Amino acid sequence: MSKKTVNGKPLHKAIEIYQKNALAGKLGRREFLAYATALGATTATAYGMLGLAAPKKAQAANAKKGGTLKISMSVRPFEDPRIYDWSEKGNMGRMICETLIRYTNDFTFEPMLLESWTVNDDATQYTLNVRKGVKWSNGDEFNADDVVFNFTRWCEAGVEGNSMAARMGSLVNEDTKKAIDGGIVKLDSHTVQLNLPAPDITIVPGITDYPALVVHRNFEADGGNLMANPVGTAPWKLISHEVETSAVFEKRGNVDSSGAFTKYWGDEPYLDRLEFTDYGTDPAGEIAAFEAGDCHVNYQTTGDYIDVHESLGMNIVEAVTAATVIARVHMDLAPYDDKRVRNALQLACDNQVVTDIGFQGRGSAAENHHVCPIHPEYAEIPKVATDKSKAMSLLKEAGQADYEHELISIDDQWRRDATDAVAEELRSAGIKVKRTIIPGSSFWNNWLQYPYSTTSWNQRPLGVQIYSLAYKSGVAWNETAHANAEFDSLLADSLKIADADKRRVLMAKMEAILQDSGIMIQPTWRKLYRTVAPGVNGITGMHPSYEMHFEKVHLS
Amino acid sequence: MLLFIGKRLFVLLLTMLCLSFIVFTLVTIEPNLKKLALNQANMRMEEEAVQSWLLENGYKRPLLVQYSEWLGNALTGDFGYSTHFRKPVNEVVWPKLGHTAILMFWVFILTIPISLLIGIISGMREGSKTDRTLSVFSIITTSVPPFVSGILFTIILSSWLKLFKGVAKAGNITFENFTLPVLTIVMYDIGYIARMTRASMVEVMNAQYIRTARLKGMSFMSVVFKHALRNALIAPFTVIMLQFPWLLTGVVIVEKLFNYKGFGFLLVSAADQNDIDVTLACGIVAVILVLTTQLISDIGYAFLNPRIRFS
Repeated sequence: MSKKTVNGKPLHKAIEIYQKNALAGKLGRREFLAYATALGATTATAYGMLGLAAPKKAQAANAKKGGTLKISMSVRPFEDPRIYDWSEKGNMGRMICETLIRYTNDFTFEPMLLESWTVNDDATQYTLNVRKGVKWSNGDEFNADDVVFNFTRWCEAGVEGNSMAARMGSLVNEDTKKAIDGGIVKLDSHTVQLNLPAPDITIVPGITDYPALVVHRNFEADGGNLMANPVGTAPWKLISHEVETSAVFEKRGNVDSSGAFTKYWGDEPYLDRLEFTDYGTDPAGEIAAFEAGDCHVNYQTTGDYIDVHESLGMNIVEAVTAATVIARVHMDLAPYDDKRVRNALQLACDNQVVTDIGFQGRGSAAENHHVCPIHPEYAEIPKVATDKSKAMSLLKEAGQADYEHELISIDDQWRRDATDAVAEELRSAGIKVKRTIIPGSSFWNNWLQYPYSTTSWNQRPLGVQIYSLAYKSGVAWNETAHANAEFDSLLADSLKIADADKRRVLMAKMEAILQDSGIMIQPTWRKLYRTVAPGVNGITGMHPSYEMHFEKVHLS
Repeated sequence: MLLFIGKRLFVLLLTMLCLSFIVFTLVTIEPNLKKLALNQANMRMEEEAVQSWLLENGYKRPLLVQYSEWLGNALTGDFGYSTHFRKPVNEVVWPKLGHTAILMFWVFILTIPISLLIGIISGMREGSKTDRTLSVFSIITTSVPPFVSGILFTIILSSWLKLFKGVAKAGNITFENFTLPVLTIVMYDIGYIARMTRASMVEVMNAQYIRTARLKGMSFMSVVFKHALRNALIAPFTVIMLQFPWLLTGVVIVEKLFNYKGFGFLLVSAADQNDIDVTLACGIVAVILVLTTQLISDIGYAFLNPRIRFS
């Protein structure tokens, strides 16, 4: 079998080590696929190395062209991708702009605006080969200047809300809050090199996330607003957009009114038009829309509504993911500054019960350390066995047996239900729990300061990404105030490419530190669901990060 | 009469001023401003970045300076910029108000004749079978709140019978998708106005001059149309006028239920997202509508009732 890579070069050394581990059963299929494709192996090669055939892309030779796809999704403003804080904003922006690399439903990485990429052995140098023949919708050619411009602005940590800066951590100078000198280098018109001061394997996964949509090199000079100046490389153009109401996109033509060349670089989409409608937070509106034929596909279907949608004759697609909800404490605030209290809360909660009741069994019980079995670096460590009497003993020992815990959650149905289930588990151990539900528009005001609350986390391709975003000392999204020098050191080491077994040892230690700290009850790994109306073809699965791609979708 | 109207207009302006200041004060208190900053930039933004954003966008200036600036612009017709909808307020409020106006128009077109007819027929012969039947119907329709009747109509007329759609699109209304929201409000409103009309009609029909007219040999229908009706409509007229402000702000449940993005939706959304300029503009519009309909109601009442006009 010829081992192909996206860059035409030999396979990265580490891939063969991963292959051996995967074939020996030390590494799961999904883990291997994510690792191998992140290091440049093609999807077909990665599957082939496991002796499997890559899933065939939907063959749609006789697919009907034309038509309008109607999508139910919250319609939000989407000015600047790097500050996006909702996946829905990413889906709006994605109709106009694209990422350099795409994270697929198969948990692999596919080249998009990059034709290929090469990573050196210790992951300190990335060579990015920019796709040739791509045109922006304004007629400009897409080239290395665009890539350099985007990496540079992603590294601007001083810009409020720029979450890409955390993903580009190894490229950011902590003093200037900008890209390090010599970190981003244009080699020629279609080649860019990233030079990192320390190994970092999260660069590729980081640039697949929804704030990593690539904007035109004049984006900021033209106002820095994608809604006002929708120039992109994707196959759709913005027709109209009204917040909380609707958004309409149409397939880009070949030549726009000013005569500029606008052909999309990839295959021409089948659909002519995409209509996004915001049916609000009450799922009843969306159900009525599906029933009336006003909706073909939605963003997400949760909880009991899955059965309702099925009863309407709709198709449900799903994905097993590393998306989750955690009931976390703030370690700096009493009584959660006492480890005994934190451990007591964990001991009192049976994660399987919460999964069964709070998530209607749609998911699998998690292990209180926020790394999922589908993450490449997951290490299996002993689970926290539920022991309600021991939980109460610990609380008594800490002098907190009568303390009433206020467990806060956001006001949407599935997170409310999940949090209620956690609260009920704690109550069954004799722990006093008061529930507080805060509207979505206010919940995030103080999310980092709540003493005890639940937070939902989307899937990230790598476990170390989650740890870097949320549990490293002092990082912006560290809602638990977790600070542990040993953990930070292990995390820094684990970002280096190494043998899978060695990485697993590091990850096992980190997982154990987090689990033992008691900072979270992490009850469930969620399954995500999406409803697709009959007659809609080409949506074969739910994307683990809620992404929407409609280039291959067609209507019967 | 001119003095009366002048006084009312003065009250209207004073109320608008007071209300705008109160609302402005409330929407610019610290937690609301923080919410605004988070909504504008990034929900998971750090405190330092929030404060920096507020400073950059002028929200750290003294309250009176900010209010004066807003008021000065508002007096020139510029109600500011919607931070949530990302458009000038005038481009947000008026279209939404238009959508609700269309809804209100069809509600009134149906409600007023039907409810008056029910009320008059019911009140003409108090205690008759017709009266009892119509009264029960009116009580039932008024007793069922719109969020219940709306769901019932959706289940029966949309899900089961497939006659109408359970969602309506503002700006793209059809008979199929617009019937249910109109029907839901109409059913609720009919009963209320019909009951008021009936009560008024019963009172008039029991008056001495009606009895005298009947004793003088006038036919029953002549008495009703020539003597009773005009007097009986005074009370319903006031009630109908009061439906305008109620509908403007009260349709929010129906608008939400049927996903009809009108003024009620805008009001809730603006308050929820702390969209300062839109919230203020919505408040101003509501005050204008309430006081204007009250003014029309007072003038109409005086026109219909000579005792008030000549006093």
